[in-house]
Amino acid sequence: MTIKTELMDSLIVAKKEFKILFRKKALIIPLVLFPIIMIVFFGYGMGGTVKEAPILIVNDDTGRASSSLVQEIGSFTEKYNGDPMFSVTYTKDMSQSEAESKINDGMYKGVLIIPPEYSESATKNESTTLTLLTDSSDTTTSSIIVNYMRQLLSKTGSVSLNIPNIYGNLEYLDFLIPGVIALTVFMGSVATTGSAIAGEKEDGTLVRMLMTPISKRSVILGKTIYQLILQLGRAVILILAAYFLLGFNMNGSWLLISLVLIVFTLGGVGMGIVMSSRVEDMESFFQLNMLVTMPSMFVTGVFFPLSSVPDWMRYIAYCLPLTYAIDAMRIIMIKGQGLNAISTDLIILSLFAIVTFTAGVRLFRREA
Amino acid sequence: MEPIIEVKNLVKVFHSRGRKITAVNDVSFDVFKGEIFGMIGPNGAGKSTTFSMLTTLIKPTSGSIKVSGFNVDKQDDKIRPLIGIVPQKLSLYPLLTARENLELMGNLYNVPKKEMEEKIDYYLKLVGLEASADRFTGGFSGGMKQRLSVIAAVLHDPEILFWDEPSTGLDPQTRNVIWKLARKFNDEGKTLIFTTHYMEEADNLCDRVAVMDSGKLVALDNPEILKEKTGSTNLEEVFVRFTGEEVRD
Repeated sequence: MTIKTELMDSLIVAKKEFKILFRKKALIIPLVLFPIIMIVFFGYGMGGTVKEAPILIVNDDTGRASSSLVQEIGSFTEKYNGDPMFSVTYTKDMSQSEAESKINDGMYKGVLIIPPEYSESATKNESTTLTLLTDSSDTTTSSIIVNYMRQLLSKTGSVSLNIPNIYGNLEYLDFLIPGVIALTVFMGSVATTGSAIAGEKEDGTLVRMLMTPISKRSVILGKTIYQLILQLGRAVILILAAYFLLGFNMNGSWLLISLVLIVFTLGGVGMGIVMSSRVEDMESFFQLNMLVTMPSMFVTGVFFPLSSVPDWMRYIAYCLPLTYAIDAMRIIMIKGQGLNAISTDLIILSLFAIVTFTAGVRLFRREA
Repeated sequence: MEPIIEVKNLVKVFHSRGRKITAVNDVSFDVFKGEIFGMIGPNGAGKSTTFSMLTTLIKPTSGSIKVSGFNVDKQDDKIRPLIGIVPQKLSLYPLLTARENLELMGNLYNVPKKEMEEKIDYYLKLVGLEASADRFTGGFSGGMKQRLSVIAAVLHDPEILFWDEPSTGLDPQTRNVIWKLARKFNDEGKTLIFTTHYMEEADNLCDRVAVMDSGKLVALDNPEILKEKTGSTNLEEVFVRFTGEEVRD
């Protein structure tokens, strides 16, 4: 069988899938509305707290006033579940752009820059300005740092705080949306691929199709093409809805988003195939699906930053592919960074896709 | 006569929950080109398993099958375009119309578009479904679905037709239509192999009947000769003579 016939065959399958999808009116609406509803419901009024958020203090001043300020931050004892809120590193002689790049690299959640003339101004009771940089792509941690610093400095009267916005003026929604897109694509690709195959097993149409000359590869490829179009379409609708309805700021490249989502969808499709090969009907598939996708939904930091969860939960999150997709989406959409910044995420997601796909093709048997 | 299917020492063993089940046990037979070949036997006799192996759906544990000269084990992709299958389980996409279901099948068999549309119109009319051509098959009756399944399996003009229990659960009118089609396709030179639980049908239609029981082939001949040999008046008696009275699980 030539590659051309296999491709043509897979397009026949993809076309059939779309035809059936468009006739399932009751399915289309939740497919599109589910993520939007999720953003609206979770997007408002969700906060959180942090622990051991890494912050850097750049102290260019040698006087007594600054050292007492630094000491106060360092010894800040407000505890969250027994852990201090900040883990502080000290340095000096660092430019603001250098400090920004440290935040960009994810090394610190916040950098406080104390200017050289701070102690002198403090003794003369002159007003001075400190600069506080925060990783505003993590809105929860960032706002907690800002609030704490404001409270602390309000005691010293004449000191004001300059807080430049590295990533623009971000809200929780901006943090939430990239995560929800990744979650939507993950749950969508796993569930629709798997349930469609389980359903076709149940009604015999899958076996019927495999009785024809079409190859197993073409059937899988056809279903994959369908999923790629469907999931990318959902992501675009979601981003546009977030932009028009909620004023979401999209900072990054559409091309990179597509790249991440394509790789991630491939993994999801592979996973759906693997899962459906273990069940004989739709009902069993949905039970299995709950077991597999639910932990991903709550552990991977869609709704809250991973920096705010206990260690054991974070370790689980690092084992789940969704974590890396969310991370990549946030880096692209909020920080507007390029391919370099998401390379680790992409490698892990590619591995996920390769493993599940290989397993899926092996487990997807011709025999019923 | 020229064999179109050659089955030699066919064995299929399934392993299920630690148990070993021999569904087909050392079966050998030929099917000749142009004949109507019936397979009968109690439930669990191994008819459907044999069918699945003949139609390339599952691989034999041992033994060999040649279909039109091709080996089922290694040349299954050569065999599939030559055969047309009506599975026991009616398998139509409920959200596609009758015509779309047929088009999908035609496309999967690479039937050229113009030829396919002509055939679809011809066959829909032949089985009396032309008025329902653009309805979703989800709302079809069992009889309508079966008629559609039968014509879906001939669009690519196969040499051999495999029908697995094509008349089970149908009203007499529909069964009549199905068997008329069987005769018609056979007259056009196609070889037809089918399984059934209706002895009368096998008696009326088949050139030869294979009787299977507990995975073994226990008899194979023309229905008249089988009746003569066993001193029976009809095929039902032949069937009981070979397979016994005991009810199967």
